[in-house]
Amino acid sequence: MFAEWLYFGLAALSVLGAIGLILFRHPMNGAMSFVVTLISLAGMYALLSAKLMFAVQLIVYAGAIMSLIVFIIMFLNIQESDLPEEKGRGLYLVGGVVVIAPIAMFLYKIVRTLPGGDTAIVGNGFGEVRNVGMILFKSWLLPFEIISVLLLVALIGAVVVAGKREVGK
Amino acid sequence: MSQLDILLVLLRVAFGAFVPLCFIAALVWLERRGAAFFQDRAGPNRCNIFGFRAAGLVQNLADAVKLIFKEDVIPGHSRHKFYFVLAPLIVFVCALVSFAVVPFADALVIEGKQYLMQGIPMDLGILWFLAITGFAVYGIILAGWSSHNKYGVLGGLRASAQVISYEIPMGLALVSLLAVYGTVNLGEMVHFQGRLLFGFIPMWGVVLQPLGAIIFIVAAFAETNRTPFDLAEGESEIVAGFHIEYSSMKFALFFMGEYVAMFVSSSLIVTLFFGGYQIPWLATETLVANARPVALLLLVVIPIAAALFSGWIRKNNKSHYDRPKDPRVFEAKVYIGLIWMMVIVLEAVLAGYWLYAAGGAADRILVVLLQIATFLVKTFMMCFVYVWVRWTLPRFRYDQLQKLGWKMLLPLALLNIFITSAVVVALS
Repeated sequence: MFAEWLYFGLAALSVLGAIGLILFRHPMNGAMSFVVTLISLAGMYALLSAKLMFAVQLIVYAGAIMSLIVFIIMFLNIQESDLPEEKGRGLYLVGGVVVIAPIAMFLYKIVRTLPGGDTAIVGNGFGEVRNVGMILFKSWLLPFEIISVLLLVALIGAVVVAGKREVGK
Repeated sequence: MSQLDILLVLLRVAFGAFVPLCFIAALVWLERRGAAFFQDRAGPNRCNIFGFRAAGLVQNLADAVKLIFKEDVIPGHSRHKFYFVLAPLIVFVCALVSFAVVPFADALVIEGKQYLMQGIPMDLGILWFLAITGFAVYGIILAGWSSHNKYGVLGGLRASAQVISYEIPMGLALVSLLAVYGTVNLGEMVHFQGRLLFGFIPMWGVVLQPLGAIIFIVAAFAETNRTPFDLAEGESEIVAGFHIEYSSMKFALFFMGEYVAMFVSSSLIVTLFFGGYQIPWLATETLVANARPVALLLLVVIPIAAALFSGWIRKNNKSHYDRPKDPRVFEAKVYIGLIWMMVIVLEAVLAGYWLYAAGGAADRILVVLLQIATFLVKTFMMCFVYVWVRWTLPRFRYDQLQKLGWKMLLPLALLNIFITSAVVVALS
């Protein structure tokens, strides 16, 4: 019961955050409302007993990526006067609604036809660090390694590129 | 849930919330008196209530009163007042919540039920800490940016760039540690450190991972924005950095947040590298099996320690010039009386345990209390290292700081991972 209320609260928060991201004019407000969305998504993962996903969502998305974005917004000090003026917003809105309406109807139909059913926790340590690690390193070892090498290359590349200027001196 | 369950939940949450808060007072005192000690002066020791100075602890009360009654200024030119108010809250709450997963004693077993001794009994461990400290950056960024002040923005930029870049060596140092321990759960890590290497060296993280320990400790210093990495608030260049526009309790929240963060990161360093709550050479089971001799030892040791301590107080707490009816001698007498009263209470409790309650659950509780004391002593010592470093080393220049992070610590941490994983694979 409590979990259900928590779920509805988190769902409402994440949708509100997403709406805020689009509607706020100031980039900092948009970024912060997106952070709200990311945190409430992390809460949903926790409700689904996916602990590792919960932690990763917080560390990577809410913690690292969004703080970089907020950092850059602060660094460039973007004010509302720097943003381009948007004329004919209403026209775009109408056009957008016309384009999206069929897809929305389709989605609505899909959601309507979803079978209702009780959810239960799978058990056996589902979503825990050890089990996710086992799956990742046994069934998906090669893709995982390729991605990690890619990230490592990016990391070292950033250091090398940043260090080059000094060599020129 | 039985009554015992509810009681233990309350106790653990209270410990997780109030111990960091109490440590703020202790650490502010430690910082001031420590600074004075390193600079060969006395430090704040005059503030008193009816002549009782409590070694300078009363100064904290005076500071708190000052901060509460100051005018709370919100700059009129700031257009983002919501973020301005939110920022100190984020910093303080993040620091406090990140302590929730640090185990302060071994699991308490009562009537066959296990109670994990941490604020939130969750097995995410170190991941939780990384997640929460990632959020503290928002507080700093928002504070610097919403103050709408050049120094504030500069301080915010410096602080966030520093925290973001030091998170990488910290995370990599943790990776090699995780390879050694084979778990992310802090409780299991401390269990691992209770064993002995070659039969006589405690298997602490600092013994198994000396390089990782150094990298982690340096990165932890940078994460808490303390000297030698405190150029986010470098007084001599950008006045106070990100909290320049803050006054009254909003400033106090930043201030307290800094000390809570210092406490939490020292407790984490202790948990990861210095055996956590483990008493060296005495694992939990040994202690439980020998609870009676341990209690007897305490019965003997506590009065001796109290006698030495009160002798030290009597020797040092007196005026250094002739005064009629020296009030400090009277003060010392009261302190000594209080100490002996505490000793009597402790002795009574221990004697009661010895006579009536020994065996069963009481043994476990005694061991848990001992381990909590060990944990707090170790953490306090690590906090002293923070103070020690702060008043010994000068501040880094900004480019030196980034160079240290990216060009020294990062490659070292990567090297450490390779060596560690090779050794772990070879041994297993």
